[in-house]
Amino acid sequence: MVAVVAGVGPKPTTVRVRMYQVGFGDCFLLSFEYARKLPDGRKERHVLLDFGSTRPPQGKRKEVDFAAVAERVAADCNERLDAIVVTHRHRDHLGGFANDAAAAVLERLDPGVILRPWTEDPALEGTATGPLAADARFAHMLGASQDFSLQLQQALAGATHGLRRELRDLAAGQIPNAEAITRLDTWAGRFGAGYLHAGGDAGLARTLPGVGITVLGPPTVAEHPGLVRQRDTDPEYWMLQKDLLGALSLETMLDDDDSDDEEDGQGAAPDAPGALPAGPVRWLGERLRRGHLHSLKRLVTTVDNALNNTSLILLVQVGRKRLLFPGDAQIENWRFILDRLPTEAALRRALAAVDLYKVGHHGSRNATPRSLMTLWSEGAAAERPMLALLSTRAGVHGKREATAVPRSSLVNALTERMTVVTTDTPETPVEVVEVAAPTRTDDPFTVVG
Amino acid sequence: MRTAAGTVEVTIVGQDPGVAAADGRILTARVRVPAGRLEPGPRSHRFHVIDYDAATGRFTAPAGDDLVADNAPGGRFHDPPDDTILADPAFHAQHTWAVAARTLGAFEFALGRRLPWGFPGHELYIVPHAKPEANAYYSPEQRSLLFGYVPLPEGGRMLTCLSHDIVAHETAHAVLDGLRHRYLEPALPDQAAFHEALADIAALLSMFSVREVVEHALGEADADGRIDVERISLEALRGNMLVVLAEQFGTVALHRPQGGLRRSAELDPIEDWRTLRAFEEPHKRGEVLVAAVLRTLLSMWTRRLADFLPAARIDRRRVAEEGATAALHLLHMAIRAVDYLPPVDFEYEDFLEAVLVADTEVAPDDDFGYRPALTSAFAAYGIRRPVDGRVVDLAQADWEPVYHGLNWAAMRSDADEVFRFLWENSAGLGVSPAYYTHVESVRPSVRVGPDGLVVQEVVAEYVQLLECTAGELLARAEAAGLQGAALPARLPAETGVQIFGGGTLVFDQFGRAKYHVTKPLEHWAHQLRRLAYLARNGFYDSRRRLGFSVGAPRGEEFAELHEPDVNVGETW
Repeated sequence: MVAVVAGVGPKPTTVRVRMYQVGFGDCFLLSFEYARKLPDGRKERHVLLDFGSTRPPQGKRKEVDFAAVAERVAADCNERLDAIVVTHRHRDHLGGFANDAAAAVLERLDPGVILRPWTEDPALEGTATGPLAADARFAHMLGASQDFSLQLQQALAGATHGLRRELRDLAAGQIPNAEAITRLDTWAGRFGAGYLHAGGDAGLARTLPGVGITVLGPPTVAEHPGLVRQRDTDPEYWMLQKDLLGALSLETMLDDDDSDDEEDGQGAAPDAPGALPAGPVRWLGERLRRGHLHSLKRLVTTVDNALNNTSLILLVQVGRKRLLFPGDAQIENWRFILDRLPTEAALRRALAAVDLYKVGHHGSRNATPRSLMTLWSEGAAAERPMLALLSTRAGVHGKREATAVPRSSLVNALTERMTVVTTDTPETPVEVVEVAAPTRTDDPFTVVG
Repeated sequence: MRTAAGTVEVTIVGQDPGVAAADGRILTARVRVPAGRLEPGPRSHRFHVIDYDAATGRFTAPAGDDLVADNAPGGRFHDPPDDTILADPAFHAQHTWAVAARTLGAFEFALGRRLPWGFPGHELYIVPHAKPEANAYYSPEQRSLLFGYVPLPEGGRMLTCLSHDIVAHETAHAVLDGLRHRYLEPALPDQAAFHEALADIAALLSMFSVREVVEHALGEADADGRIDVERISLEALRGNMLVVLAEQFGTVALHRPQGGLRRSAELDPIEDWRTLRAFEEPHKRGEVLVAAVLRTLLSMWTRRLADFLPAARIDRRRVAEEGATAALHLLHMAIRAVDYLPPVDFEYEDFLEAVLVADTEVAPDDDFGYRPALTSAFAAYGIRRPVDGRVVDLAQADWEPVYHGLNWAAMRSDADEVFRFLWENSAGLGVSPAYYTHVESVRPSVRVGPDGLVVQEVVAEYVQLLECTAGELLARAEAAGLQGAALPARLPAETGVQIFGGGTLVFDQFGRAKYHVTKPLEHWAHQLRRLAYLARNGFYDSRRRLGFSVGAPRGEEFAELHEPDVNVGETW
């Protein structure tokens, strides 16, 4: 059973969320404001949730200036952060931590604790047996698959167009963000750390009085074998794939003349024309070699999915308000909770009564379960005012409509049900979106300013 | 090498290498496969096995193998040890070829004619070790069936090409694509679901028609080869055997790790599934049709077994033979129906209607009551015979087709002549000449029904197309008087759309039009329903048009369709 956590101690009167403009990425500041001073003399608490980007906003050519974002955060939190939450290890969620100037600012804010998913726990390293063995293997698999993505990205460095470039960009999104992670590991040692899993304690009860945080995901392997049940996200399978691919020369696999077009790979030259007998065998061999790019793309997509599925899913309860921050969690991660909804009434009620939803995975097709939308759209729940925050940038992911982020059919459905506020408004650029709501009344979240 | 009598008996894996026979060895079966002159590969006039690995670049040239000698008593593949099955590439090549050829053979036998592939060419390439990927799929662009493999932790490889079910499933996709290549066009979800469902049905019934497999699934027999009669009750067969069989089905097929067929076997009759969002997903939707067919199979089988009852114990081999016979019969019924399906915009009701009409043609008597069994099994899943006359019996029509000036000899093969028939009879057939119309195929067929009756027919398909804007489509619907016509919310009226109509014409042996299977382009309610579905699911092409493309890269449609999907009904 996943118990819904209620806050303990004095309750905040207002909850405020700021969504910073980071192009394709996530960066949020959660602020809780109290009527009276807390023991440390402050009347507020602040949590930074993610700090990364892979693309500048539409119309901007320069990468996001994270030092400037950090300064803005510093001003908004009055120079003190109580926690930093990093939902998962993709660059669009933690890339900013690699920026030295930004990091210096954040260090100045003396974050109370660094919270990450269990897959990031350094203690897993070297755990080959015992109850955590499966978890350790899974974490190891994630690392190995990122190394593979790096090799692939390097092998495709010169790709300028077409499927090869698409593959390179996809791989680039998966590479290990070593600098950012090293920094977070260092901070974890210095400021304190928590590695969270579904149903576990977020450890923030004392830090954030009156705020309840329920960790809905990610489940551990032991909690939810379904996370790795899919054969091609099975760590064993992945390790073997990696070993197999490692034994092959990526250069050989990718060696064509780079003149393939984007969809069907027509026009590429064979790897070794003389190797196959002329005739049907060569005809097919050449096409299969080119089609292999599609296979590699599917493979790297499984890495992307697996990393997304390590995302923290946090349900924040503060007074009469509930906020849902699912990072980039996809359905496989969500499934652990969805499977419980029919039998766990308290959980179902809590999720049905969400007031603010951070749209999962920048609006992709598989990160906002339809069951969740159904929960928000049926019976009395359908009448509740809701607000969605969508941090995204169109045209980055999904060349095809079917895989586009944000996905239009999802955005349409969200817009029908709730107020959707997005950072992707090139015609009226925004630096930050600020929303707030009282916690003691049913008045909904409203956009500030 | 030329095979005697045009067939060759070969050894295949009964189900997949994970299923062991009573002696602990991999369950195998001996099957007869249509073959003419064979070349090393094996290569026949319809299939060419090419053992090339795209990841390693390794090409294994066919050895100077002799398939007939290899499978004769004493030959290396007549009763191969497990090591040979698992590790010998020549066995993999033969196995994949044999199951594919057997599957095509079943379709050709039932339809009474040679079947074209869905690409230009006569030979389908089969690649038994195509790539290290947990996938197996039909690629029309590469004119091939590609079977992936996965390295195993204990060494060796898990080969999708050794699974009878996977090979038959992928071959069925290729055959259906040749018969109804428009079924890859964007349409209501029944159509994509049908591709999956028919492939599953063909694979399951193909496997089921191998007696050894059925015997194995029935469980151990006593010393006299008999089993308890309780094991053959409808519920026991469903609960144990079918579920066991279905559970193993596709477990090795990494692209369907959730055991879709098991869900089909266990899917209780449900009438309102169309109202559930989860059933819009093709695999999930396909399960409904497969479930209805499995229900029919059990009903047919138990009817055949009724003659042996009452008895306390019953010969397992006879039970299995009756099951295999019923499966083969049902498989042929299902395949025959394909000729009576519309060329575009397929819906499940079309399949039921087509099975019933086609079966009545070849087997006017229905001694075992198969058609009522089928009708009631489908009704349990809310699939009923359409009342709007999708298969029009032209002999009963209140108008007389015009044959003046038409040449019957030409109509047997000439698309232009069939188009002329359409042109002369457009009013009676209800085929408006206002739209682009193309007769896409004309094929004669000869079938022999179970009663020995020969049925000769010519089957012709035509398609109509209209490209316009969503606004223009709505205007036409309104002009036709459709009540409550509307475009999907927020769909701009200037959105480009492509809509289809078409039909299948069946001519009898005297050249008279017998049946007209029709999907009128001007069925505006249907067109708006399709548009709403496509818009809701975001099936836009790169120019933001609807109805042109499902959005998968060319040649990879089936690869993507087969991606693991644990997210049924949850995605956008």
